[in-house]
Amino acid sequence: MANKISVMVNGKQCTGEVEARTLLSDYLREDLSLTGTHIGCDTSSCGACTVHVNGKAIKSCTMLAVQVDGSEVTTVEGLSTNGSLHPIQEGFKEEHGLQCGFCTPGMMMMATDFLKSNPNPSEKEIREALEGNFCRCTGYHNIVKSIQHAAKKMQGVEA
Amino acid sequence: MRVKGKHEFNIPKQRLWEYLMDVEVLAKITPGISKLESLGEDHFKTHSQIKLGPVKSTFTGEMQVTNKQEPSSFQINMEQLSKIGNAHVVVQMNLEDLEEGKSALEFDGKANLSGVIARTGQRVLSGVANAITKDVFKALEEHIEEDNTLA
Amino acid sequence: MTKYIGKSVKRVEDKRFLTGQGKYTDDIKMPGMVYAYILRSPYAHATINSIDVEAASKADGVVAIFTGNDIPESIAGVPCGWQVDFKNGDTMKEPPHPLLVRKKVRHVGDGVAIVIANSKAQAKDASELVDVDYDIHDAVTDPKAAAQDGAPLVHEGVPNNMAFDWELGNPKEEVAAALASATHVTELDFVNQRMVPNAMEPRSAIGHYDTAYDKYTLYTSTQNPHLTRLLMCAFVLGLPEHKVRVVGPDVGGGFGSKIFHYAEEALVIWCSKQILKPIKWTCDRSEAFLTDAHGRDHVTNAKMGFDADGKIVALQAHTYANMGAYLSTFAPAVPTYLHGTLLQGLYTTPKINVDVTATFTHTNAVDAYRGAGRPEATYLLERLIDLAALEMDVDPAELRLKNFIAPFDGVEQEGYVTQVALQYDSGNYAPVLNKALEMVGYEAFREEQKNLSNGKLLGIGFSTYIEACGIAPSAVVGSLGARAGLFESAQVRVQPTGKVSVYSGSHSHGQGHETTFAQIVADRMGIALEDVEIIHGDSDSVAFGMGTYGSRSLAVGGSAIVKSIDKVLEKGAKIAAHLLEASSDDLEYEGGKWTVKGTDKSVGFGDVSLTAYVPHNYPEGLEPGLDFSSFYDPTNFTYPFGAHIAIVEIDKETGYTKLKRFIAVDDVGNVINPMIVDGQIHGGLAQGIGQAMHEGAIYDDTGQLINGSYMDYCMPRADDFPSFEIDRTVTPCPHNPLGVKGAGEAGAIGSTPAVVNAVIDALWKGGHKVKDIKMPLTPERVWTAMQD
Repeated sequence: MANKISVMVNGKQCTGEVEARTLLSDYLREDLSLTGTHIGCDTSSCGACTVHVNGKAIKSCTMLAVQVDGSEVTTVEGLSTNGSLHPIQEGFKEEHGLQCGFCTPGMMMMATDFLKSNPNPSEKEIREALEGNFCRCTGYHNIVKSIQHAAKKMQGVEA
Repeated sequence: MRVKGKHEFNIPKQRLWEYLMDVEVLAKITPGISKLESLGEDHFKTHSQIKLGPVKSTFTGEMQVTNKQEPSSFQINMEQLSKIGNAHVVVQMNLEDLEEGKSALEFDGKANLSGVIARTGQRVLSGVANAITKDVFKALEEHIEEDNTLA
Repeated sequence: MTKYIGKSVKRVEDKRFLTGQGKYTDDIKMPGMVYAYILRSPYAHATINSIDVEAASKADGVVAIFTGNDIPESIAGVPCGWQVDFKNGDTMKEPPHPLLVRKKVRHVGDGVAIVIANSKAQAKDASELVDVDYDIHDAVTDPKAAAQDGAPLVHEGVPNNMAFDWELGNPKEEVAAALASATHVTELDFVNQRMVPNAMEPRSAIGHYDTAYDKYTLYTSTQNPHLTRLLMCAFVLGLPEHKVRVVGPDVGGGFGSKIFHYAEEALVIWCSKQILKPIKWTCDRSEAFLTDAHGRDHVTNAKMGFDADGKIVALQAHTYANMGAYLSTFAPAVPTYLHGTLLQGLYTTPKINVDVTATFTHTNAVDAYRGAGRPEATYLLERLIDLAALEMDVDPAELRLKNFIAPFDGVEQEGYVTQVALQYDSGNYAPVLNKALEMVGYEAFREEQKNLSNGKLLGIGFSTYIEACGIAPSAVVGSLGARAGLFESAQVRVQPTGKVSVYSGSHSHGQGHETTFAQIVADRMGIALEDVEIIHGDSDSVAFGMGTYGSRSLAVGGSAIVKSIDKVLEKGAKIAAHLLEASSDDLEYEGGKWTVKGTDKSVGFGDVSLTAYVPHNYPEGLEPGLDFSSFYDPTNFTYPFGAHIAIVEIDKETGYTKLKRFIAVDDVGNVINPMIVDGQIHGGLAQGIGQAMHEGAIYDDTGQLINGSYMDYCMPRADDFPSFEIDRTVTPCPHNPLGVKGAGEAGAIGSTPAVVNAVIDALWKGGHKVKDIKMPLTPERVWTAMQD
């Protein structure tokens, strides 16, 4: 029943045994205690569990833990390095892009991947990119602004 | 959920009736049915596997044929239970002779669903039900043709 | 001097949420923890013949299984917190709401058994082996149909499913006479559809009985831990309150749905005592759809009469309110005291009568959802007045301006006394509408609307609303049936080094109390924001709390903090006077120090704090320490108001409706943190617009919730909205020390009718004189309305 997997999570090699049916989201939360990845639904609709697998944003409830064997996974806990906030985290703070904070990790993981492919998005493009992530607190208004803030900041940093 | 429709067959209604009352034929033409055990006259225990989009489940339940008015009408009462929800179905079947030795089967009924299948995707289920019904009649047509060719 | 108040101070709570370190209930793990899954009824109305748990008990990892029959008869179930009696004086019908059903299930999702296992997956697997034999009965789901003779009964002894009926305002005959004399009467039959609150964090509860201390701990996703403890201890389980700790850790949104005391909370506590292990229950989203108390669900007929000058002469409203299968904690208050009392609106209507019938149905319970009653009242009024403007061919903005109550500040001018039992605190209504009209560019819009030639229809809709917030004066609500007070408590504890810990009874689950409250404390005490910490949500550290709902945290909880600060500063002045060898009357406090007026002699807050705890050189007879608690009971509700305008564009071919612009001008009194207030408005708008255009729970006639998942229930997404255009006016509340009115619900209360009115306006301008389209305004419904 148990399957052995080895995954690089937030830069750390994690090895363990999982049931074949264990979802990546449950593996991160229950086995690795990385509870920043949230579970908001059971139909892969809400996006609260979004993480990066090999650099791409995916809803971790749509993948089995065994599928990420040998992969690199980044969760919200791995977003900031050396103690300073990632530009997307800074954007959410500056623009009040979060209230209860439950959807926030998924929003940020989605947005960082999105900004990689579209570093200078329009408001419309941001709103479309957010289609798969639900927020009930902010009406998305300040989330859009947060992503715009991060986009500017990231371009400035990279330029 | 309402199920309703009509299908024409190339045989008179008396012969259609005989096909419909044949347990083995029924088991053969209904998609997903793996087993049909008799529990008495016109009363069966059913085992079926049904796939609804991403959800697949095994249903077990009972089926009863009632109000038989040979060869014109009967009623099917079904209760199907599964892990993803239950279905209670009552369908009235009317057979009618048409011209040139053809006949029509008209059905009208209601399926009450509960559990996950009731609250997830029910709006698309009548489409699924219609597709299944079409499959049943197509299979019956094929069976009749095969049967007649053999004869 | 304010350094923080009125400024958009960035939130101090953000860091933990941004780094994945927020601690929600489901994030908590305890040694030896086991997991519960609740088996729920798949039927809306059925008798349980038998439950066989034998196979399930033998399944992998199963620790225990309990059914309704395992719970002692003495545990009746979860109580209702508000009593509204029948018009004829008969007591409200309040059938028991058991933790697990013993004999009869009354809605899909009613709990039948709790299965506890070593993992959630094992508990769920085992629950599928529990064999329940049901006899299925007919169900009723519509609140009006439920009251008719012959409807299936939800409870024995509740004829016509009526929980209570209720009436308020002027006598019906007077209202009828006024309507008869009116030159125009607008009448509307409409449904305010059932909403699913959908906080993003699914509900979760951990029950832990600690044998060493004989003490229970409940972690739960709640908006009010103390109220949950009180209800659970005193009315459900009969536990000693001092031996029960309830913690509401980080909570992922509530919107009303986490106010109430739920059966699962009492269940995990009771079960943990039986098996002596900590038990965690976290619901799936599908379970949340079935069991989180829903909102709205009113079926209404209303008439508004006008004289020849366009002045409103009377309003009559009849509403059937759906209670669901059981009375949830605040359910009876929602269609009555939070709805009927708001039907004066912003208008001078001289005759108003409202009549409400509350019925049980075979559906999940309905209770407060963001706005709670006030959105229903606003929808009623604002749909009527906009429709009347169309029918009478007058401008909807002018019609409102003509009927507004004249300005009053509640100090020089008395508060406005309504026909429906309230006295508004302060109001100045024309400026919000005028400001909104200016922002929208009203005249230019009407020109554009006339000259449209792109196959689309353009519409504009208004909503000018009032709400009663800052809930609420205890004696007033007590006389109206509340079984609790609605004050708030706060403790300001100055530490010896001058750092300040504030314990507030207002729980924060997204509202940013840890920032806003700290801004108040830092400014009033003249200290740095970093030197203040706001502690909330734990009944073992916070003295008491009534919790967070009804836009009350700042107006009531914030005022309690101010009271405690005043006490700290008063005592601090005595200590300072002693140290400065002056009279405390000669001191003034500013910038964190007491100064002898007219001199440069002063002593700082830190020195006074230290002296309070090291009282060597100390005023005679004064107690050491600097730590004060206060309870603040408001003298009135607060009455925020505002004007919302929606502009929609409809595709004539498909009925697809696009919300092009949304303008909101709100007056929530004084503002402590504009950034946070704006955020509250945005979120409220999205929920209100969501109701108008996207959302709505649908039960079929057998009582099945047929859109109980995110694949079926239309949650509003980012590209459903434009950027909101918002602004505000400030009319301070005259009766609380901060002058604040509350901002949490405004967006949800005002926005819904503005959107529907805009669609109706567009259709009239396109030649389709329809009075109503059922919400949500799906393309199909809008298209159908254009085919007549």
